[in-house]
Amino acid sequence: MNDFSSVAVSPVGVVRRDPRKEWMARNRLHPRHHEVISEGVGGEMGANGLMRRNPRQIGFIGPNGIKRIDRLKGNAVQTPNKRQSVVPEVVLPWHVVATADFYIFVVPDMVGGRLSGHDKDILGLAHRLQKEIAGQGAVVAVCFGEVKETQFELAGVDRLVHFAGAEFEGFAAEAKAAALAAMDERWAPKHWLFPDSIHGGTDLGSRLAAELGERPATQAWQVDLEKTVARGAGGSLDISRATPRILFLLEECAYPIDETRHQVLSLEMPEVQRPAPRLLDQGLVAVDPNEIPLAEAEFILSAGNGIHNWAQFHQTAKALGATEGASRVAVDDGFMPRSRQVGASGTWVTARVYIAVGISGAIQHLQGIAQCDKIIAINTDAGCDMVKRANLAVIDDSDAILSALMMLANEKLVEPGAVQGNTNKEDSDAA
Amino acid sequence: MPLNIVSLVSVGRHPQSGRSRRAEQDGRAVEMGLKLAGQQLSVVHVGNPDEPVLRQYAGMGLSSLTVLKQADRFDAVPVLQRYLEQKNIDIVLTGVRSESGESSGMVPYLLAHALGWPVVARVADIVCVEKGEAQVLLALPRGQRRAVRVALPFIASLDLAAPPARQSAFGVGLRAKIETIESIGEVDQIRVDWQEAEAKPRAKRLKTVKAKTAAERFKAATAKPQGDAGKVLINETTQQKAQAIFDLLLEEKVIR
Amino acid sequence: MAIDWLPSVLIVTLLILAVIGGVRRANLWRAGQPEKVDIVAGLLALPKRYLQDLHHVVARDKYMSQSHVATAGGFVLSMILVLLVHVFGVSNRLLAGALLVALGLMFVGALFIAKRRLQPPSRLSKGPWMRLPKSLLTFAVTFFVLTLPMAGVLPEGTGNWLLTMILSAGIIISLSELLFGMTWGGPMKHAFAGALHLAFHRRPERFGGGRSTGLKPAALGGEVHGVAKPSDFKWNQLLGFDACVQCGKCEAMCPAFAAGQPLNPKKLIQDMVVGLAGGTDANYAGSPYPAGKGEARALGSAKGGADNVITAGLVDADTLWSCTTCRACVEECPMMIEHVDAIVDMRRFVTMEKGQTPNKGAQVLENIIATDNPNGYAPGSRTHWAADQNLPLMKDKQQVDVLFWVSDGAFDMRSQRILRAFVTLMKAAKVDVAILGDEERDCGDVARRLGDDASFQSLAKRNLATLSQYKFNKIVTTDPHAYHCLRNEYSDLDVNGVLSQGASGQAVEVLHHTTFLNHLVEQGLLNFERFSDTRMTYHDPCYLGRYNGEYEAPRELLRSLGINITEMARSGYRSRCCGGGGGAPITDIPGERRIADMRMADVTETGAELVAVGCQQCTAMLEGVVEPRPVVKDIAEILVGQLIEEVH
Ligand SMILES: Cc1cc2nc3c(=O)[nH]c(=O)nc-3n(C[C@H](O)[C@H](O)[C@H](O)COP(=O)(O)OP(=O)(O)OC[C@H]3O[C@@H](n4cnc5c(N)ncnc54)[C@H](O)[C@@H]3O)c2cc1C
Ligand code: SF4
Ligand code: SF4
Repeated sequence: MNDFSSVAVSPVGVVRRDPRKEWMARNRLHPRHHEVISEGVGGEMGANGLMRRNPRQIGFIGPNGIKRIDRLKGNAVQTPNKRQSVVPEVVLPWHVVATADFYIFVVPDMVGGRLSGHDKDILGLAHRLQKEIAGQGAVVAVCFGEVKETQFELAGVDRLVHFAGAEFEGFAAEAKAAALAAMDERWAPKHWLFPDSIHGGTDLGSRLAAELGERPATQAWQVDLEKTVARGAGGSLDISRATPRILFLLEECAYPIDETRHQVLSLEMPEVQRPAPRLLDQGLVAVDPNEIPLAEAEFILSAGNGIHNWAQFHQTAKALGATEGASRVAVDDGFMPRSRQVGASGTWVTARVYIAVGISGAIQHLQGIAQCDKIIAINTDAGCDMVKRANLAVIDDSDAILSALMMLANEKLVEPGAVQGNTNKEDSDAA
Repeated sequence: MPLNIVSLVSVGRHPQSGRSRRAEQDGRAVEMGLKLAGQQLSVVHVGNPDEPVLRQYAGMGLSSLTVLKQADRFDAVPVLQRYLEQKNIDIVLTGVRSESGESSGMVPYLLAHALGWPVVARVADIVCVEKGEAQVLLALPRGQRRAVRVALPFIASLDLAAPPARQSAFGVGLRAKIETIESIGEVDQIRVDWQEAEAKPRAKRLKTVKAKTAAERFKAATAKPQGDAGKVLINETTQQKAQAIFDLLLEEKVIR
Repeated sequence: MAIDWLPSVLIVTLLILAVIGGVRRANLWRAGQPEKVDIVAGLLALPKRYLQDLHHVVARDKYMSQSHVATAGGFVLSMILVLLVHVFGVSNRLLAGALLVALGLMFVGALFIAKRRLQPPSRLSKGPWMRLPKSLLTFAVTFFVLTLPMAGVLPEGTGNWLLTMILSAGIIISLSELLFGMTWGGPMKHAFAGALHLAFHRRPERFGGGRSTGLKPAALGGEVHGVAKPSDFKWNQLLGFDACVQCGKCEAMCPAFAAGQPLNPKKLIQDMVVGLAGGTDANYAGSPYPAGKGEARALGSAKGGADNVITAGLVDADTLWSCTTCRACVEECPMMIEHVDAIVDMRRFVTMEKGQTPNKGAQVLENIIATDNPNGYAPGSRTHWAADQNLPLMKDKQQVDVLFWVSDGAFDMRSQRILRAFVTLMKAAKVDVAILGDEERDCGDVARRLGDDASFQSLAKRNLATLSQYKFNKIVTTDPHAYHCLRNEYSDLDVNGVLSQGASGQAVEVLHHTTFLNHLVEQGLLNFERFSDTRMTYHDPCYLGRYNGEYEAPRELLRSLGINITEMARSGYRSRCCGGGGGAPITDIPGERRIADMRMADVTETGAELVAVGCQQCTAMLEGVVEPRPVVKDIAEILVGQLIEEVH
């Protein structure tokens, strides 16, 4: 089984202030001063949410790598227990569901094995619905495959169901749907909530709804127990209807849970009867960022007339993992292929981040990037239109900035944390 | 043996004008159908045979198009199911979500369930069909792809990442035959008491700092809204400027 | 001459062959589609059309026009006299003397033509055309010698066998070219087809100083839309192609050719000739289509026939899409051939039957169909630009003097500056004006030039229906393309006479804003400060100048500011296109350089710091040239900067 359901219910959610300890911490000459000071600094949170301390550790390692004993601490910060960076989670009260009268099931996307912002919104909504229904309800998260999430208890998961095993790894929509159908039979939840998303939520929800023969509300964004408002007709309509049992929800349909801790207890899982899979996953196809069609790319490094070192430009794009784009001048001059042209007569892009290097921001170019989220300009001319349009502009030579960026990217690559992130392509799409 | 492929098309809706048009994803379903089956492709619409938009689909090079005639607000699935059951079909292609009506995206799933076929959603390409099995590429976010094998017959919904629909030629569309099949529809009961209104714009959620203290509340209240005006770095060192960009890239999670 | 009957037999034989050839050629033209032409009136008008209209064009090149008058005039006269003297045997010294004079005239003309051929400019075709002056000279000399005895200069019967042989050879050589070749496809074909083309021209309005520039509507609903095969052209269009003299005047003026895009209007017309007669382009001896960024096609690889699809082997579609429809070729063509009609006819097939409008074309057309504007903006946002302009809507006013046709510039931030400037000027002159607001639609210009005449006609009809609800005397617009459509192309679809009956009962006047503003200035309704001493030049938009003949109003307006315009080498009717017309920026066929860059080089050459234009499309194209470059401003913007507003 998994680790998450093993958390014991602790009746005390709050760590109390201890005036005596605080006094000892302030008094450097007190014999137990070191002991008190190191508490919380070198300590770590135990599984039960209480601080464990390491009596052998005195002081801490500073940012420059030198061990420091912060003797000021007792004065600067009133008590180690109030250190904001470590403690605030600890003060959240528990939301305890001892025995549930009913269940609301949430099937989060778990992009990269973690709850996404979208998932958390839906858990928030689940709790809102739960409160509206008479009796004590539990919000259940159903997860599949590898799970890296460590904060279920803070996201409002009262119960957790985790289908692990190879058959749920990768693309396994059919197996997952069968598991959900079995859960439905066993637990008859009041609601099934899915993120209406391209990360699998819609697909899985649709499969379950078809299997159960129920009509879901899709693209729902305003939901209470009676009424649901859902988008229709390509997002141009608001359809108000009675709230059905199965809901596919848009992002920001509710606020996530942020004031309570939840038990994350496990729930019994029925035996799942599964027919042989009909969709055979052949795995992810490696896609070179530069093969990604411009219109689909989410991170574009785009070159204009202000690029003088093309080899460097290509290297930087590679180091950053960005898809290459270009202005018409760069294409006309033969430095970039036509398929890379961004703008009115090229491609209209929808990247989340668009870096325009040495592009002046002619109206025809700006037309092509109107739908980008964040625009970064690198230009020597602070007055040009691209700088006016950009969310972040740096006024400097393209050559210098690109080489500095490349250095940063390469440094990041050698850091262990970064490499880990790179191993899983599906990782970290939380937006 | 040529493949027996059916593309299902609906009446789209232009997001800006609200006018009827060839739906983006359904157009791709026809495009994919033409790629796999050429002139053998059947294109089917449930609804009004006089709908002018059908000519836009036909203009892609179809000599004919089948309409299962049915009034608006009738459920399309039972009619389609009956129609598809009669034929010996290999692949049914649809869009992921229609641009008009409920836009629930359930049609391919309901059909697949009714017919007992597998369904693959968000297809970017059907690479090939060999020995009764298709090699399919699914569209994942940010241009990524997943390869999946699926046995015929199946239903596939086409993502916007699939090859775009070819231009519709006026003359070809005009001359195409529209074959109408009368069908006994079933009124969509659930939909009867829905209310529809023009979509209300949704306010973007502000980055709320849960204010625990008075000072934080004050800060939240007086903080400049996340405005349009961008930051311009001029006098910083090159290193700092590059770092600022890099930080933004990290914040936006485009580099990992 | 030793054998008296020989010359007349030779002449008659070649004449008969020529007649046979003529009938055969006419049958090739008749493979085209029927088109109603007033044959008798056309033939009667022929001499005048030749002497006046055609020569008006030819006379732009003094050297050539004079040589041509001498040669052609001399030849026609000689030929008539040759028939009288040598075939019908009318022996009259006076007649023979006249023949000698005519031959002399022709000889001199032919000498000048031969001289031009010593170092021919690149626009001229070589091949058989190099031979033509020699044939002309041979004719003149041969018949001169032959006629000498009859004129009494030499005694009758002079000459021996040798001379007879030489003269007979001369007759055969020269008349093969000048009579036989005329109808069997030699260079002299231009005289035969050219004359008939003038008589049966598809746009007779062009003669007598008129102008006819609107495209003809495509017939919708048939088995084919547009021109797929040469036989889909109207018969007189085919005849027109045959009239080409391969002078290359069109080539020399064509902006697409100069930009290295795969278009040469002369070659295109010659390919049409290959198409109508069948065969390959192997004998073509002029400049080829530039290679663009692709591979140049080898000569002889283009094959065609009257019933073969043109874009399948004869002409690449890219050639058709390179054209900006600037009409520089038509303006320049001495044979009054209509290149643009032919190009758009063929585009109609590619778009409406093949669905192969290149690059952004398909998307633009889809947008036009779904949103009534090429960029797919929300139709309900069309009037956003005027939120602060306090402009009344026709819907509210019902009747005004001036209806301001805003055009799709309404959606474009740069064009909006022009629109606002013009509104300010109209307000200063207290013009009674209103706009259609969201009821306006794209005029259809882009759809039509991209070959989608169905969408054009639909837009035109819907716009006309909207206009029919209101009363107004004038339509004024800042967009020369909309101006052209409304003024010259809507009339074909205006079955209810919306535009032929304005509020005052007279026809609605469609005006470009420069014309209209010039009226206001002439009436003293607008006062301006003098413009500072900036060196300025003016770029004539094709759709204002060549399409509508408005060259003066913009210049007068600038002069009224005290501006001394430094003209570009190519201005007025020879203005070089900015590259923005005909949907060319949308289809965007690659070349070696950009047309706008060449036009900006023309501007820079004058030393101007500012270039005035009268078109938002030109503004966009010229501003798309990378800086540093002269500033680009619409005349309305320049005027508004100098406006003296009365203070009350
Ligand atoms: C109909 C039409 C369609 C068009 N379509 C498109 C289109 O689809 N896409 C498109 O891009 N353009 C298009 N254009 C062209 C457009 O108008 C501009 O000409 C073009 O975008 C300019 O490209 P640029 O910004 O790379 O070059 P420039 O305008 O020359 O700008 C270069 C920029 O680089 C900066 N710079 C110079 N040196 C350095 C340095 N060492 N370090 C940093 N910065 C430096 C300069 O300050 C300047 O801002 C179109 C134009 C027309 C008329
Ligand atoms: S209209 Fe202009 S671009 Fe087209 S062929 Fe003639 S000269 Fe060339
Ligand atoms: S088309 Fe006209 S201008 Fe061009 S070569 Fe022929 S005759 Fe000359």
